[in-house]
Amino acid sequence: MASTLPDTISSLFGLGGLVGDVVGSLVGAVLVGSLMLTMTALAGPWAKRKITAAFTDRIAVNRVGPFGLLIIVADAVRLLSKELIVPEDVDRPAWDLAPFVLASSALLGFAVIPMGNGIQLADPEVGLAYVFAVASIASVGLVMAGYASNNKFSLLGGLRAVAQNLAYEIPLVITAASVVIFAGTLQMSGIVEAQTAALGFGLKSWYAFVNPFAFLLFLVANLAEVGRNPFDTPEAPTEIVAGYQTEYSSVYFVLMYLGEFLHIFLGGAIIATVFLGGPTSPFVGVEILPGFLWFVVKIWAVFLFTQWMRSAIPRVRIDQLIEIGWKGMLVLSFANLVLTAVIVGVIA
Amino acid sequence: MSNPWIAIGALTLVSIIIPVSMVVVSALLRPSVPEQGKTAVYESGEVPTGDTRIRFNIQYYMVALLFVVFDIETVLIFPWTVIYRDGVQQFGMAQTLVPMLVFIGVLVVGLAWAWRNGAVQWVKSTRARDTAGSTE
Repeated sequence: MASTLPDTISSLFGLGGLVGDVVGSLVGAVLVGSLMLTMTALAGPWAKRKITAAFTDRIAVNRVGPFGLLIIVADAVRLLSKELIVPEDVDRPAWDLAPFVLASSALLGFAVIPMGNGIQLADPEVGLAYVFAVASIASVGLVMAGYASNNKFSLLGGLRAVAQNLAYEIPLVITAASVVIFAGTLQMSGIVEAQTAALGFGLKSWYAFVNPFAFLLFLVANLAEVGRNPFDTPEAPTEIVAGYQTEYSSVYFVLMYLGEFLHIFLGGAIIATVFLGGPTSPFVGVEILPGFLWFVVKIWAVFLFTQWMRSAIPRVRIDQLIEIGWKGMLVLSFANLVLTAVIVGVIA
Repeated sequence: MSNPWIAIGALTLVSIIIPVSMVVVSALLRPSVPEQGKTAVYESGEVPTGDTRIRFNIQYYMVALLFVVFDIETVLIFPWTVIYRDGVQQFGMAQTLVPMLVFIGVLVVGLAWAWRNGAVQWVKSTRARDTAGSTE
């Protein structure tokens, strides 16, 4: 079992025991937190605009700095220095807490993600269950934001967000469970380890190759989970303004936006770990890039995929969304689970 | 490391500190110009009518109940998936797979029943149903 990031740091400082654990954990957590913040900062104000522009044949940000990259700094200053407008009759503690819940819960999931080169904060035996548990806390934040805003659009958006998360949470988890049948463990490092075996044609046995059907199901359910097209009904700008985030301005808006992008990256990190072999190359014996770079490439690939869907796929209606989730995805995910169990049982 | 939850606790702390520090920085930077009308709830520029603390048909009540059932089911399925491979090797498929198939089967019957009774869909209001009927 490879040592985790806190171990490396505490031995670097020459500390041992509980003090070493705590110091190593804190420094490691700050590192992982800043890493994900950097990626979000790159993705939110800059990459998202560039990608959407490329899809719609436009140029997008190109004035501030090389490739318009300094727009990130400009946007950060602009958004943080906006006036915070608190609408009339909002439900105060809940309305203020919702952005925190969204941003914090998305960051929590990265604790158990193996990012390659020994960058993994913690490796509990229930890693996969933990990551799904914290990822779904965001739904609570959405309801808080939607209901506390005292705005009709927000209320509708919040309710839609719940309906969507209810419908797609179970296909997501059940599909992941079908992968656990192969791996036989919930530990993230164990799942990555199980995907290093050779499959044939010089490829590793990534679960995306072993069970492409489950991969596809998970990818679709993940789109719904992070609320991107075709499942962006909770925000639906052409129907309900901005859904649950209509009444948020200034730093609260930044936090909600941050939470949303962290969530996309968390979804990408789960997909990378569970289906794409974690921080490894797809070929047996050929690594090409360091593990960490493989991880970054994979989560950005998933990010690109969500942005591609956002530009290319029309939105489904809310009633269609419920029916696709409960009559389509749920049934398919259980079929996948049973089929996987039967096939693994026959082989084993 | 002996206890992985120390590191997870550390990240919890960091993930609270980051938003709080952003709010603090923003509080130092941003202006506050309270004006009449600024704090009105956004309703596309119209004067807001009433608030949202009303009785409201959420239209997926039955689906939410179903979710509770299936969510508990996923909790029960997870341990089974972890030991499944070893279980098959030790006790054979009849003893490891069949009980779970029965368990999932019971829930599938439940889903089929809910489906037939129209619980797994967006409930249309009587008004929407009437207008849909009149246009046909």
